[in-house]
Amino acid sequence: MDNILELQQISKTFPKSHFTLDKLSFSLPYGAILGFVGENGAGKTTTIGCILNTVKKDSGTIKLFGKEMLDSDTDIRNKIGVVYDGENFPGFWTAKQLSQVMEGIYAQWDKALFQKYLEDFRLPITQKIKDYSRGMTMKLATAVALSHHPQLLILDEATSGLDPIMRDEMLDVFLEFMQEESHSILLSSHITSDLEKVTDYITFIHNGKLIMTVSKNDLVYNYAVMRCKESQFIALDPCDIIAYRKRDFQIDVLVSNGKEAQRKYKNIVIDHVSVDEIMLLLVKGEHV
Amino acid sequence: MKGLLKNNFFAVCSNAKVFSLFMLILGFFVVAVISQPLLIGYVLLSMIGFSINAITSIKKEYISKWGKYKLTLPIKRADIIKSHFISQLMWLLVGAIFAGLSIGLSWVLHGCPFDNGIDTISIFALGISISLFTGAFFFPLFYLGGEERSDVFLIISLLCGSGIALIIISLLNFYLAPGVSTILLGAAILLICSLLVFALSFPLTVDIYNKKEY
Repeated sequence: MDNILELQQISKTFPKSHFTLDKLSFSLPYGAILGFVGENGAGKTTTIGCILNTVKKDSGTIKLFGKEMLDSDTDIRNKIGVVYDGENFPGFWTAKQLSQVMEGIYAQWDKALFQKYLEDFRLPITQKIKDYSRGMTMKLATAVALSHHPQLLILDEATSGLDPIMRDEMLDVFLEFMQEESHSILLSSHITSDLEKVTDYITFIHNGKLIMTVSKNDLVYNYAVMRCKESQFIALDPCDIIAYRKRDFQIDVLVSNGKEAQRKYKNIVIDHVSVDEIMLLLVKGEHV
Repeated sequence: MKGLLKNNFFAVCSNAKVFSLFMLILGFFVVAVISQPLLIGYVLLSMIGFSINAITSIKKEYISKWGKYKLTLPIKRADIIKSHFISQLMWLLVGAIFAGLSIGLSWVLHGCPFDNGIDTISIFALGISISLFTGAFFFPLFYLGGEERSDVFLIISLLCGSGIALIIISLLNFYLAPGVSTILLGAAILLICSLLVFALSFPLTVDIYNKKEY
């Protein structure tokens, strides 16, 4: 399968904060949504910065539409829509002024489509952006990101801080965007329930390191957590353990194949696992 | 480029409206009162004031994530810088129009407002050169030092701009004998120097901006 976005061995160090993005590699196929998960400060925004060239990577290659994007590759950026968390646009603008600016920047800016999104999202066109609520600003940013007919959406915490109803609305918009087979979304978030709803793949990072990339189906149908007693844990084959975490009276063990583990360890309780729980086990748990 | 210029225009617009109104009222007063120093002050203030309005609008972009968002748009970093330089020139032109109208009106109503008509050129050259020097210093400093220090960079740039213009004038007065041709030559040297520094500031600013991370 072709990839719309491909990262290979991306490294970036910030000497002042001692943070390092360490040889990160993952890819996003055409027609897929990739959830990008990690705790605050894990390196999600830095990675997105490297993809969009707002941050200069130290090493590695990033290919967008099969090509490394340089500052001069404006044609590639014409095919990308971006939404950052919070205020994306100057507060003293109105949506109308924003459209006028974008019209002069994007080759394929669709004024009518933008107007439609504003109506659908119930955003007043002449009101200053600073008077919008947080939800409204995020909707506006989404409208802008979609109104130049992009192929790839890069959403950095685009749903954080929104109430569940608004988040659901936004997710519906993203799913509608995915009706085209050539479209893809990179969705960075720490709201794991959103990722469970819409993504095809989930990439976990922690402390600037890639932990794993897994398809959501694999995660839902195969990944599981075993609730072991100390004695049961000692008897486990280390090869079966991805991560484990000691709790008060039990040890939770993450395994990649729940059905096989059920066959192998008959007396152990095995539960389906949520993205939240996987993240906790991968980040806070220990590895064999 | 069109979108970037619109972006810069919207950023300056609200401040420029207030400043225009202020300059209009002040302009009526300056024209009504026959005072050479007041008119010189008005001419310099309108050109430098409008330029500074344009220059300082950059920092507004960093209150939101717009400064970072812009880099994700299909525009080159060099074009973003170019748009700021062009915007400054455009607002300088607006200032020059205000200044020209006040001098013109004063001339029509009271006759030549200066000792010599040719002095008008010198005053215009001084206003333009201070504005250009200020922009030339401010833009690279802004991207080098960051938006949180923009106010102090503006003060430094304005002082340096005014200082250099005055040093050039002092040197010209020292070495050249007084006369009409000297005034014209002085104005030309002042304009050429400031334009040269302004032009050289562009690649320097682009170079600094190309290395910036957001």
